[in-house]
Amino acid sequence: MSDTILEVSHQDTAFNTSRGLLQAVNDVSFTLERGRTLGVVGESGSGKSVLSRSVMRLLPPNAVTGESSSIKLNGQELNTMTERQLRRLRGPEMAIVFQDPMTSLNPVMRIGAQITEVLRLHLGMAKKPARARAIELLGKVGLPQPDIRVDQYPHQLSGGMRQRVAIAIAIACEPSLLIADEPTTALDVTVQAEILDLLQNMTKERNMAMILITHDMGVVAGRCDDVTVMYAGRIVEKAPVRELFHNTRMPYTAALMASIPRITDDPHRKLDAIDGRPPDLINPPSGCAFAPRCKHADEGCSAQVPALIGEGTHQSACLKPLGQKEAAA
Amino acid sequence: MVETSSSPAGALPSQGPASATADKNEAAIAAHKKRNKLGLYFWIPMIWLIIVLVAALGAPYWGLPPADEIDWMNIKVPPNDAHPLGTDSLGRDLLSRLIWGARVSLTVGFAAPFIGVGLGLILGMVAGYYRGWADEIIGIAIDTWLAIPGLVILLLFSVIFGGSLFMVCFSLGLLFIPTAARITRAATLNYANREFVLAARAMGASDFRILRRELFPNIIWPLIAFVLIDIPIAIVIEGALSFLGLSVKAPTPSWGGIIAEGREILETSPHVALYPTLVMFLTVLSFNLVGDAIRRRLADVREGAI
Repeated sequence: MSDTILEVSHQDTAFNTSRGLLQAVNDVSFTLERGRTLGVVGESGSGKSVLSRSVMRLLPPNAVTGESSSIKLNGQELNTMTERQLRRLRGPEMAIVFQDPMTSLNPVMRIGAQITEVLRLHLGMAKKPARARAIELLGKVGLPQPDIRVDQYPHQLSGGMRQRVAIAIAIACEPSLLIADEPTTALDVTVQAEILDLLQNMTKERNMAMILITHDMGVVAGRCDDVTVMYAGRIVEKAPVRELFHNTRMPYTAALMASIPRITDDPHRKLDAIDGRPPDLINPPSGCAFAPRCKHADEGCSAQVPALIGEGTHQSACLKPLGQKEAAA
Repeated sequence: MVETSSSPAGALPSQGPASATADKNEAAIAAHKKRNKLGLYFWIPMIWLIIVLVAALGAPYWGLPPADEIDWMNIKVPPNDAHPLGTDSLGRDLLSRLIWGARVSLTVGFAAPFIGVGLGLILGMVAGYYRGWADEIIGIAIDTWLAIPGLVILLLFSVIFGGSLFMVCFSLGLLFIPTAARITRAATLNYANREFVLAARAMGASDFRILRRELFPNIIWPLIAFVLIDIPIAIVIEGALSFLGLSVKAPTPSWGGIIAEGREILETSPHVALYPTLVMFLTVLSFNLVGDAIRRRLADVREGAI
């Protein structure tokens, strides 16, 4: 393996709420190497966004991080850093692209100013070279007429163009880690693939590590090296993307895949939705959190939390993994 | 977002038969432009304000007799060739006094709201952005400040610090702080949780940088509208203060002071009180009309931007 960019081990992130402690990220560990893309998949509320905010240390004041948790970026421990130290890393070392480009850009600042802001802050560039660099960056992310767009306001751009601008801002200081938090969810279907291609090209070109957060298995399929499936704050399955699709073990992963509509399906076929709702993270069910919704669960599943186990690169947290059952049958 | 404007098409009354949409569009654009034009309600008061402003700024250059020069031969005379607006009970030229008085009124009119809004802006942004104990302390301070009657504050300042122009502006400015701080706090709260603030933090921006570069440009618009409302209010309050003798000291002319002097001789020489009252009335009205027009324009710009 090449050099490690990000090393997350036993990350716990909880929130103090009026109802009690909400365990949003629970004992999550993974590593990410330079040039590789990790997909993080899960339903709403599975903790994937909180995980990304934990890595960026962009957590609200009521967040609590576990004592034995550790997040190392290029060998530096983030969890114990001061805000001042973190500020120096945000931008040049790690950056994030948010879900909705309609709200992640300042409506009253010109596009150019929003990019040069970062360049001047972190790279100490002067006004003129920063502007030239901003135009260059806008060109790189495929914004047409970058020399005109640079002086426009966000409302003069379409959603896809805005997301390109957001990506330009994120890569402006050449971070080694890029987090894309559902970067295409708010976009038109036709633009989604373009933005994903762009993200992929940018990471390959710059040899960045990327965390691609999504709820869409289809997004993950073609563009990630490894995939992590999250449920109720825990990683329930982790594997290289091919392995995951061909040899699914966790019933939750299988259910997510089954919920994708297929073009070969009958026109009025009902989608395979997952019954029930994600568990309450303040009072989680005992044992496997997915057990109440799982077709394969029995009493044993509710007795203990299954550990994330498995040989080699494919790990899963399930007492009744799918592959073995089929093999046994 | 401020003004409830109907969509361009909806702004049109029934257009007769369903003609080509191109016509409709053109009409809609014309209607919008018409609505957008500043119009006479803006320009007539604006011209008056420019006249007052130029007159006040150039006061020493108009060849007027000094505002405190006493013409013993012409006491309480109505308008004539030597004194276009007549003289007051001490024989001082009324036009000269009005123009020099305009300097006081306009200085207070502009300075007081800016001082108040400036301080209120800082307090409001700190309270709205940091929340928590900062918010609570500022909130309590503002509530306390509001509980003291404004007139008492003004009286206190004028007694302690005397009637210098700066102190008048400052003490009046203090009265504008609570409202300005509340407007700022509300606007800051509204924007502080937007994703672009988080995005700026994610790119390594400090709190100060976020306040200055991300939030300030967004919240300055409601405050500009607020300043526009406060200017005429400040002029009126200054007028009332000098009428009561609490503004600038006696020989310095101010509109309220001239009205007060004229009140004593209202029966014999009504022109002394009439002209400053008229000038003040027109100026305050003009500021209100101009302010309204600008606020409408700002609302339109904001609407277009979002």
